[in-house]
Amino acid sequence: MRVALFVPCYVDLITPEVGVSVVRLLRKLGVEVIYPEGQTCCGQPAFNSGFFDEARSVARHFLDVFEGERFDYVVCPSGSCATMVSHYYPFLLEERPAERERAEAMGGRVRELSDFLVNVVGANAGDLGARYEGRAVFHTGCHGRRELGLLEEPRELLEGVEGLELVEWPNEELCCGFGGTFSVKMPDVSTAMADEKIKALEGSGADTLISGDSSCLMHLAGRLRRTGHDTRVLHLAQVLDPENGGGK
Amino acid sequence: MADRAEFLASIRHRTRTGKYKPTHAPDVAWTPKESPPETRLIEDPSARFIEKLEALKGHGFRAESGDEAREYVVSLARSRGAKLLVRWDDEELAGFDAPLADAGVEVAVPRDPEGLREVAGRADVGLSTASWAIAETGSLVLESGQGRGRSVTLLPPTYVAVLRADRILGTVPEAISKYAGGKVPANVCFHTGPSRSGDIEMSLVVGMHGPGDVHVVVVG
Amino acid sequence: METKKPPRQRDTRDRREEGIVSPVEGFNERGRKAAGDKALHDAIQLFTHKSVAGRNAVLNALPEAPELRERAYGIKQRTMANLDRYLEQMADAVEDRGGNVFFADDGEDVVRYIGELARRRGAKVITKSKSMATEEIELNHRLEEDYADLDLEIVETDLGEWIAQLAGDTPSHIVGPILHMNLERVTKILSGAAGENLPPNVQALAAFARKRLRQKFLTADVGITGANFGVAETGTIVTVTNEGNGRLVTSVPPVHVVVMGIEKLIPRFEDLSVFTRLLARSGTGQELTVYTNFVTGPRAEGELDGAEEFHLILMDNGRSKLLGTPFEEALYCIRCGACLNVCPVYRQTGGHAYGSTYSGPIGAVITPLLKGTDEAKDLPHASSLCGACWEACPVGIPLHDLLLKLRNHQVEEGLAGKGQKAAFKVFENTMKSPALYNISRKAGRLAQKPLLKDGSVKPVPGPTSGWTGSRDLPPLAKKSFRELWKEGI
Repeated sequence: MRVALFVPCYVDLITPEVGVSVVRLLRKLGVEVIYPEGQTCCGQPAFNSGFFDEARSVARHFLDVFEGERFDYVVCPSGSCATMVSHYYPFLLEERPAERERAEAMGGRVRELSDFLVNVVGANAGDLGARYEGRAVFHTGCHGRRELGLLEEPRELLEGVEGLELVEWPNEELCCGFGGTFSVKMPDVSTAMADEKIKALEGSGADTLISGDSSCLMHLAGRLRRTGHDTRVLHLAQVLDPENGGGK
Repeated sequence: MADRAEFLASIRHRTRTGKYKPTHAPDVAWTPKESPPETRLIEDPSARFIEKLEALKGHGFRAESGDEAREYVVSLARSRGAKLLVRWDDEELAGFDAPLADAGVEVAVPRDPEGLREVAGRADVGLSTASWAIAETGSLVLESGQGRGRSVTLLPPTYVAVLRADRILGTVPEAISKYAGGKVPANVCFHTGPSRSGDIEMSLVVGMHGPGDVHVVVVG
Repeated sequence: METKKPPRQRDTRDRREEGIVSPVEGFNERGRKAAGDKALHDAIQLFTHKSVAGRNAVLNALPEAPELRERAYGIKQRTMANLDRYLEQMADAVEDRGGNVFFADDGEDVVRYIGELARRRGAKVITKSKSMATEEIELNHRLEEDYADLDLEIVETDLGEWIAQLAGDTPSHIVGPILHMNLERVTKILSGAAGENLPPNVQALAAFARKRLRQKFLTADVGITGANFGVAETGTIVTVTNEGNGRLVTSVPPVHVVVMGIEKLIPRFEDLSVFTRLLARSGTGQELTVYTNFVTGPRAEGELDGAEEFHLILMDNGRSKLLGTPFEEALYCIRCGACLNVCPVYRQTGGHAYGSTYSGPIGAVITPLLKGTDEAKDLPHASSLCGACWEACPVGIPLHDLLLKLRNHQVEEGLAGKGQKAAFKVFENTMKSPALYNISRKAGRLAQKPLLKDGSVKPVPGPTSGWTGSRDLPPLAKKSFRELWKEGI
């Protein structure tokens, strides 16, 4: 099994440790990992803001870069960026049949991390030797939840992590308020949405917030830190990666 | 003012020239559930109907006979201190007049619009039959027609309907199919329990504009 | 570097309009105020939580719900593709039953038709059952103004709508028009109408409203309703209410006028078995509302009540513009309100923040579409695109995709602002060139150096201020993933 790693730009730039954990996890499972170095961003910021031409141009770059490699799957530690490729590249290229075909072919090979781990390689947290001391809630990013339908996979993985207690929190289906450029275009409403999540988090008694999307985590962590919370905020890959020391 | 032909032509033009085909996006929440839709066989439609109606704060009563149905309506009128009852001009209800009169309840059977207007607003009880009922939702299916004033079922604070058990259908689609493709009466109403409102702080108000005290007598 | 200079005086508003943050002032500002209003917030939470819980329970108990949703979408799709034919069939059916049909291009046409009808009938009192189509064209207000000489008394009869009308307020939710008002406010409004102090008790207030509105029902000369569905095959108008006001308005007055958006059409009576099973479940969590009322033309021969005169107004008001366009699916909406209840944005702001008749995700979509896309430019951005609306929609309208298309439409129409356009051009050029991407990364790391404080980027004016005003911004990592990869993991 050979996978091409697709590291979202904000993971590359801001939380590279998430990418490192993904590499370690995959290698531990005997998966060969390549990293196409020409990759940049999936184009979602432009797309979400309505700049479809610009997004299309970035999408073409993505397709060029990844089509130049040999792999079984593209693995991405973000439901949002995976959805951009699998669902919204075909949407963007709808009226260009040849390119749409390329996008659909690529989209069929892109897997969000938990999807890949559970549904492709059949991994579980025990195999990985994952340990984490803490009481955690899991936030499913909206693309992962609705477009990809990945509700069970991350939970299944986390439930096998030794020492980790996964607790439920109210209204867990609600968006964290990030929404890409929404967070800066509608900062006050976006922040109010984050506050609602944080209130639910407080009520759950969790000391740790885990998600499969670093973008949601960046938003919630940014608000948690501003409001004086010391909640630990981790990507799923970090919790599953024993060498990350349980993310501490 | 819009001209009909022009209006329609402009719409025709738009629907014919559009090249966009809507996409039906896949969905997560509404993906078919694993078990196939149960064929909803309702074993005892009367029982289910009454159960549903009661859950909506209505009252259902199973009468073995016409006499028992009449007794129920009389005692209901009495318990509500009713002086005036207005009913549909329907053969099935004719037998209710004498026992009601015996109990001191005046019965009005309006046969023209003015007559209905005069009594419906001040009657204490409205009495009607129903064309059908729907077991799965606890609904009555009321049809307008000669001598069947809609107001009878709407204006009095207490409303009672009497229908035969064999008029109870299972489901909403069954009730709708009674009118599909054919002629629909000027008015049909699926009437499901007492009138209600939750507009003020979501607090339940029963009997907002229509009757709050709804009874259905199922005969047989 | 710019940030080392003392902060310059600048108009932040202008800056935002020309910066990467596009001209979306209205909604955020109104939303901010709403989100900070604790009483409003609690009221919205109460309503939406209860509604969503009720909806989930009844839909989960209906095994064929997914299939119904597919069918509903398919029926609407076919209806729109042949809308002219179905409108004609509808009009013929209504006329066959002795009703009158009027095609209205816009609200103006509707107002004139009803105004002249009221004049001809010598009408004084008009009762209305809740109708979003008439809210959309501000019918009450415009009839009162344009036909002031008739001295019409127009009375909303849905409890919530009436209270809103008394307060000079507008509905903030399709289904729960006054969910934004608490008991105290309602008590005050109704006490004003009563001319005496009413107790702050829901039952007592409702009793007062019942009594007052009962007089109106009985004396009305004209009844106006909207339509939840119009059946082309039979000419039947379907309205759903819980209070019974819809049935009263169509049964008691001698004239019944229906104001129906042309998209409310469905081809066959049979199709109602799909839509009636979805509408109440999605809207109020009921299997059926208390009154599902089917009116077909005026009262028949020998009937004792029901309107003698029946008028159907088929209103376009911007709808037909969407036919055959990528926005056509917005016309499939059955106005159940489910998308409002699940929307995390609506749940923070309520309906009035949208500044339009229709609020929530469907409001954000159809307001600019009906009014013209240079109106309500903020609304397509009033969404995090989380997709909860699409998930909840009983007709399967991909509302979040429509919002995206609207944003794109704004860009193509040149409504997105020069600053934003330039910014995304830079974004495009950077992201399609790994070399530029690497240079920007290094430049970014240098630029942030003076701004680092306790592991975060300090809030400073500029493009990051939208974020840093309320949230910490993490700095760029010392080494990017690609650098770590090259070094060897």
